[in-house]
Amino acid sequence: MRELELYFGPQHLGMVGNFSITLKVEGDRIKKADANPGYLHRGFEKLMECRTWMQNFPLVCRINVVEPDHIELIYAMGVEKLSGIEVPLRGKFIRSIYCELARVGSHLFGLWAYSNMLGFDTVAQWAMYHRDLVLDLFEELTGARVYHIYLRPGGVRRDFPQGFEDKMIHTLHSIGGKVPDYNATFFENRLFEKRAKGVGTLTRENAVKWGAVGHAMRATGMQYDIRKIEPYAAYDQVEWDVPTRQDGDAYSRLLAIRDEMIESVHMIFKLIDKMPRKGDVCTKTPNPLKWKIPAGDAYVRCESSRGELGLYIVSDGGDKPYRVHFRTPSYSHGLTILEKVLVGESIADVGNIMISLYVVAPEIDR
Amino acid sequence: MKTLKKKIESSFDNIKVNIADKTMVILIDKNSIVSILSFLKNMGYQHLALISCVDLIKEKQFEIVYILSAYMENDQEFTGKETRNIIIKTRITRDKPNFMTVMDIFENAEPYEREIHELFGINFQGHPRLTPLFLELEYKTPPFRKDFDTRKFVNKFFEDIPAVD
Repeated sequence: MRELELYFGPQHLGMVGNFSITLKVEGDRIKKADANPGYLHRGFEKLMECRTWMQNFPLVCRINVVEPDHIELIYAMGVEKLSGIEVPLRGKFIRSIYCELARVGSHLFGLWAYSNMLGFDTVAQWAMYHRDLVLDLFEELTGARVYHIYLRPGGVRRDFPQGFEDKMIHTLHSIGGKVPDYNATFFENRLFEKRAKGVGTLTRENAVKWGAVGHAMRATGMQYDIRKIEPYAAYDQVEWDVPTRQDGDAYSRLLAIRDEMIESVHMIFKLIDKMPRKGDVCTKTPNPLKWKIPAGDAYVRCESSRGELGLYIVSDGGDKPYRVHFRTPSYSHGLTILEKVLVGESIADVGNIMISLYVVAPEIDR
Repeated sequence: MKTLKKKIESSFDNIKVNIADKTMVILIDKNSIVSILSFLKNMGYQHLALISCVDLIKEKQFEIVYILSAYMENDQEFTGKETRNIIIKTRITRDKPNFMTVMDIFENAEPYEREIHELFGINFQGHPRLTPLFLELEYKTPPFRKDFDTRKFVNKFFEDIPAVD
């Protein structure tokens, strides 16, 4: 059979985001896949070297459009580690709650993209609607819907508004009440099972070899979660589980995402119960215009909804970072794993595999 | 972690090992980078989190940084108390930067090395695909080096574009 070269994206209907894959196909089987990023390269890491430590916050949140919160968190954590600032306890709890809310929102967005891709339009509409409810919470808390710029070195920008906890519990209950419906229409649906089972399988050995993180790793049965390994914020204050699956295919990845979402909601309830009622939410930091951070370097990491998110940050003792480098989870997922997993699959499953791996283009390009 | 430190110090020359705040920092000569990475991989540090590069223009050197961490071997006996990040640093000269690829040890090193090749102009010998990754244009000075003047480039680049009538 004749071998053809096929350009999949960035204008392709089956592609989500500004990303492209060059496929070599024979019939509808993929022989070779070349990931082709760069459509969203904005040079943030270079730009950040020309701006002061505090000015960088509006930049970093744009690195991942879907969930800016964890990128804010990791940058704040990096600056804290370099300058030795401690976060007060209430600030830590608020950070955890905020990040778990972001995880729920981001997973709902991922569910929208995935179910839309497979043609489950109803589920996609529900997921988008529920994400909007989460965004409403963010709007009340931070004043913005997508890019919140809420975290800062030393804690968070301001305390919860009055009655916010009740509102959050109410919203999360109304989302959680829909889980049986999601199960009936999507997760336990025979059509979803047929499309996703055995597709894009990643064995444990390959996942380790190719540097998989996050839910892709947890879908192969390993309880690999940075929140457990290196607890940051308030994750060591409450009890919670790391949900895993065994098969490593798209089906297990999606179920791992669902379980993680449910676990996040439970975790938020526990965090609200345990949160100190009074106290500071932020340590005082120096004047941001004159803030100089002692020379040194640090590597910090956290668990974003896509997996391990890291930041290597270097200071030369000045008022600007000397070098920042983000280790984003989509980077190895999109450029290494996707290329290898796609070989042997059919063209119809490219988007299926890509979204089940949660590849987001802006995170790769930065 | 301390036993690992002793083991590393006994098997390599010209090495400085530091443990601070949950992280082990290793400074090593550039010729031993492949051997230390495979040594650490055999010790269980199988996850290459990041390869980064810092342009130390005052010292006329590039610093290449490898960050490793461990997946867990046994899912049950896992505690958050152990140190699990290792930062390995090595330096190469700034003019005619040449280095070797570590793709034989870590397969996911490929895009990181491609990115560093493109943004810093470091040539990784043995890398099968050092093609452009992100950038559209070719630059005389690779753009992430410190002597790349962003403002000057922008002024020149956008003045050269003819105005639309």
